[in-house]
Amino acid sequence: MYQPLLTSRYLTTRMIPLLAVAAVALCVALVVVVISVMTGFLNMVRSSGQTLMGDVVISYPIRGIPQYDLLIATIQEHPEIVAATPVVDTWGLLRMPYPEGDAKESEQVQIWGIEPESFSAVTGFSDTLQWKNIPDNVSADVLQDVFDQRSEEVGATVVPLLDEQHRMALLRATYHEEIEDDALIRHLITIASDREWAQRIGWFLRNGIDHSDVLGEEAIAALQVLEPRLYDSEQLRLDGITLTQRGRPAMVPGRHVSKANIRTSTGEYRVAAGGYWWLPRFEGTLTTLPIDSRGGMLEPESIVLPFANEFASGVYLIDQTRVMVPLDVVQQMTHLDEAELVDEDDLTTVIGTSPARATMVLVRGQDGIPATEIRDIVQEAYRSFQVKCVAQDLPEIEQPPRLDRDPGLRILTWEEQNASFIGPVEKERELMRTLFSIVYLVCGALIVAIFWAIVYEKTRDIGILRSVGASRTGIVFIFLLYGLFVGVFGALTGVGLGWLITTNMPTIHDAMSEPPLWLGVVLVSASGLLVVWTGLHWRDRKLLPLLLGVLGAVVLGGIGVGELMLRQSGGVVLWDPAVYYFTDIPSEVDWASAWITAGAAALCSVIAAAIPAARAADIDPVGALRYE
Amino acid sequence: MSSPHLEARDVYKTYQLGRIDVPVLKGCSMHVNRGEFLAILGSSGSGKSTLMHVLGGLDRADRGQGEVLHEGEPITGRSERQLNLYRARTIGFVFQFYHLLPELTVLENAMLPGLVPGGIGGGKAKRRARVLLDQFGLSHRLEHRPRELSGGERQRTAIARALVNGPEVLLADEPTGNLDEHTGAEILDLLSEAHRDGLTIVMVTHDRQIANRADRAIRLVDGALAAESG
Repeated sequence: MYQPLLTSRYLTTRMIPLLAVAAVALCVALVVVVISVMTGFLNMVRSSGQTLMGDVVISYPIRGIPQYDLLIATIQEHPEIVAATPVVDTWGLLRMPYPEGDAKESEQVQIWGIEPESFSAVTGFSDTLQWKNIPDNVSADVLQDVFDQRSEEVGATVVPLLDEQHRMALLRATYHEEIEDDALIRHLITIASDREWAQRIGWFLRNGIDHSDVLGEEAIAALQVLEPRLYDSEQLRLDGITLTQRGRPAMVPGRHVSKANIRTSTGEYRVAAGGYWWLPRFEGTLTTLPIDSRGGMLEPESIVLPFANEFASGVYLIDQTRVMVPLDVVQQMTHLDEAELVDEDDLTTVIGTSPARATMVLVRGQDGIPATEIRDIVQEAYRSFQVKCVAQDLPEIEQPPRLDRDPGLRILTWEEQNASFIGPVEKERELMRTLFSIVYLVCGALIVAIFWAIVYEKTRDIGILRSVGASRTGIVFIFLLYGLFVGVFGALTGVGLGWLITTNMPTIHDAMSEPPLWLGVVLVSASGLLVVWTGLHWRDRKLLPLLLGVLGAVVLGGIGVGELMLRQSGGVVLWDPAVYYFTDIPSEVDWASAWITAGAAALCSVIAAAIPAARAADIDPVGALRYE
Repeated sequence: MSSPHLEARDVYKTYQLGRIDVPVLKGCSMHVNRGEFLAILGSSGSGKSTLMHVLGGLDRADRGQGEVLHEGEPITGRSERQLNLYRARTIGFVFQFYHLLPELTVLENAMLPGLVPGGIGGGKAKRRARVLLDQFGLSHRLEHRPRELSGGERQRTAIARALVNGPEVLLADEPTGNLDEHTGAEILDLLSEAHRDGLTIVMVTHDRQIANRADRAIRLVDGALAAESG
C-alpha cells in the first residue's frame, strides 16, 4: 500500500494541508461553541423551571383553591410525591427604601405568598438565598441602624444593664476629652439620657476596643438579641428561609428587584453606594389590589415588611420581579384568608366561613419519575380530594373547583406551564443547528478548493504513479485518505478548541468586559517586533515575506489597539442578563452534539475530497508526465 | 520461430489539440526481441516517446488502428486493470526528467513500484531497492530527498525504481537527455549492465552516438519507421 506512505508525506511536508485542518477545526469549534451554549441555555431554562416550580403545578388564579391543606395531604398520600406546597400569587407594587427623601421608587412585582418550609422542600428555595452573611462593608451600617433607628429599644433593653462601673468606663471611652475627676463623671452619668447612652454605645462599638470589658457581658448579650444578624453567621440565612426578621414577618425579593444590586462584569454583585443600599437593612411597602369573588376591585391593601434576605434563582425574569412573602400575609392582602361570610342584606348576620385559599399548589415528585407521570398522579389525587370534599358535605362556597367543569383549574407539568418560554428556545436551538450546518458546506468548499490546488500541484506525481502501475482507484484512495485525515484531525482539533472556548466562556467574557492591560501591551509590542523583524529579514527583496510580515503586524497591532480602546471605554458586556434571562453564561460542552459535529465534518471532508480525487484519477498519465 | 518480446504492428496514434487532430504515429511497426537492447532514434516530434508510452501500456493506440503485442499476446484490448498490472510487473519506465516524487526519500522512491498492486510487496521492495541503490553507488543517499541529489544520482534512483519489481522490459525515454556527457555515459553503462543481465531495453534517443550503445537502432520519421540498422 503506497497510499498511507504518500498521504503521510503530503501531510507532513507541506503547509497547505495545515490550512485545510485549520479550516475544519475552526468550523467545528464554531458549531461546538454555539450549540453548546444553546443547549446549556435550554438546560438552564429546564432546570431553573423545575427548581422554581417543582414538577407539577395546580393553578386556579385569582379565586384560589379552598381546603388546600386537605388537597396537599391527599397528594402526599402517594409515595411518588416528595412534597407539595400552597402558593398565593398576585401582582403588586413594592416601594423601595431608596433614594433618600420621601419620593421613593416603586417596582412592579409578582408577589408569591409561600409557606417557607414546604416551599423549600418543593423548590429548593433555601439554596437560592443571595446573602449568607452581612457583607463586610455593611456591618457598620447595620450596627448604626440599631442605634439610629432603634435607640428607644436600645435604651429600654441594653442601657438598664449597664451598672455605674460600666457607665463610667463607657463615658471615659467615649467622652471627647480626658476626665480625671470621678465626681464629675458621676455627675455626667446622672444627667445622661437613655438616648445619649444608646448613641454612646453605638459610637463605642464602632470605634472602641475591649467591648465586653467596658459594657459587660450582659449588655453585649442583650445587643446580640437586638441584632442577632451581626453576631450569628446563620441568622441572615435563617431569616431568609423562614421569611421573618426578629420575629416579624419579612419578605425576600429576587436580587434584581432592587436596582441597588449591581452585577459587576465578573459576574459578582455589589451593592450601590458602598453597600449603603443593602436591602436587608431596610423595610419596604407592598401594595396589592385585592379582587372580590365577583371580580370587582377592592380597596388597595398595603403592608410594611422588612427585607429578610434576597434570592437568586438565576432566571433574570424571576429575579427581577418576584418577591417571596409569608403565605398568610399575602392571603390577607388578597382577601384569600379565612373570613366570615355575612348576609348581604344584614351585614351583622354571619352566614358561614370562607376558607383560606391558595391560587397554586406546587408538587415535587421523587427523582427519576417523569413529570408527566407525577401530573397524572396529582390529577388522580385531585379527583379523590374532590370526592372527600363532597363527602364532607361542605357548603358550596367551600367546595373546590371541579377538574372536569372549571377550565380555570389547570394541572400542568412545569414544562407545560412554561411551554411558551421553553418552546421558542428549543426552536431557536434547532434553527441555529440548521443554520450552522451551512458551516459544513463552507468547510467542504474549502477542502474542495485546497485539494483542487493540491491535485493540480501533484499532477506529475499522479502520472509517475500511473506509470509504475497505480490504478485510478488507487489514486482516488490517496486523496480520500488525505481528506479523511484532514477531516479527523481538524474535527478533533475543533472539538478541543470548542471545549477550550466553551469552558472558558465566563473568563473570555470577563476579559472582554474588563480587557486586561497586559494583553493589549503584549499584542502591540509583538506587532512592533514583527515590523522590525520583517524589516531586518527582508532579504532578496522578496514580496511575499514582506507582505506576510506587514499583514501579521497590522492584525496583531489592530487587535492590540482595539483591545486597549475597548479597555479605555470600559469593556463590553456581551452577556447581559436582562437580554438572556440568565445571569450566568452556559459553559458546559454538549458532548453529543460535539461528536456529531466532528463526525459530520470528517465525513464532509472525505466527500469534499472525493471531487478533486476523481479529477486526479481522470488525469491522463501521459499528459501528466509531460506536465512541468 | 518465437514471437518478439514486444511488437508494434501498424500502430496509429492521434492526439487532439483543441479541435485539431494531430497524428503522431502513422502506421508504425517495430519489434524488440527478448534480451535485446533497442534504440529508437528520431528527431523531436517524430513520435518516439508516444511509441514508448503505447508499448508500455501507458497510452492506447487509436481504436482499430494496429496493435501492440507482448510475447505475441495483444495488449491493445486489455482492460485498464490488466494494463495496470502489465505496467507494474512487466515494464519499467525511465524518463528524461527522472520524475521522482519530491516528498519521498531516495529509498522510498526506489521501492514505490513494489507497493502498488501487482508489485513485489513492501518488505521485498525495500530489500531489493537497497540492493539496487547499493549497486548504483547510492547507499549513502537512501534517506535523502531528490532535491538533494545531482542529476546523475536522480537518474540512477529512477533506474533503481524501474528495476525494483524485476520487469522484463525497460523503456527509457531519453535517459541521458538531461545529463552531461560523462554522467550520461555512466547511466548508459548501468543500462548496458542491466541488459547483460537479460533485460530487454527500448531506449528512445535523438543522439546517434548514444544509439550506438544499443544492439540495434531504428529511426522514426514523422510517426513511421524509416530505417533500421544493426
